[in-house]
Amino acid sequence: MDLDAHLPAILTGDTRAFGRWMAGAEGTMRDGLRSFASVLDVESVLQEALLRVWQVAPRFVADGRPNGLLRLGIRIARNLAVSELRRTKSRPVSEEDLERALAMAEQVDLGERGPDPMLREVLAKCHEQLPEKPRQVVSIRLAAEGGRSDDELASLVGMRVNTFLQNFTRARRMLAECLKKHGIVIDGGLES
Amino acid sequence: MTQPPGGGAGDGGEERDEEALVEQVAGAYRPRAREELRYHPAWHDLDEPARVRAYEIGRAMRKLESALDAEGMSTTARAVLARIEGR
Repeated sequence: MDLDAHLPAILTGDTRAFGRWMAGAEGTMRDGLRSFASVLDVESVLQEALLRVWQVAPRFVADGRPNGLLRLGIRIARNLAVSELRRTKSRPVSEEDLERALAMAEQVDLGERGPDPMLREVLAKCHEQLPEKPRQVVSIRLAAEGGRSDDELASLVGMRVNTFLQNFTRARRMLAECLKKHGIVIDGGLES
Repeated sequence: MTQPPGGGAGDGGEERDEEALVEQVAGAYRPRAREELRYHPAWHDLDEPARVRAYEIGRAMRKLESALDAEGMSTTARAVLARIEGR
């Protein structure tokens, strides 16, 4: 599926359609910022870039190639990152990741990269099997939807923030181990 | 504008080791601001390798969050959606 299939609904101001677009686009946009990770807070840059995609979407004109809005998003994120580098006088970084992300965006079936059903099923089981406290901290972070700090969340579950974060690290590593036992390896830092 | 360095890991004033700081930065929570980028306060307390590690952990966690979400959205996408919808 070409993620631009969500465009007509996005243009009517359908925020849920934009949510579905983000579900398909986020990974590629994040990957495009990887080389900035040592010098910028990529999560912050990415969230701002996604917000700006929503703001400029009504003026977006498709060029006939797939995933046009995603390609625009990758460039918005890159420009924002470069602007941050200048502002913070950080050292420049390689643009290989940008080119890789843009090449990935040319793939028509990008929108079908979403979580596969097997991962979903196994992960739900692994999450259920976590000990109480690690499961609790994972669940409350998910429920908070990135809207509350760990200090707030720790307070809500009656833990010191260090304990909350230690439980989260423990949960992450246990999930990685459980997935691995089921033959699923998530690339990146899950076991870190 | 980003937060100045040395502000500590959060608002609790509790000493945190690097592992805890990395875990915080790997999360999707970022302080809200109207027209500026707001870094996670703990990001400033990390050295470059730890920042890259936080990025990699965040990247992996967003995949898991998407898989656990009924609509396939990570906490990053949910946070952006909340901002768009004014929540």
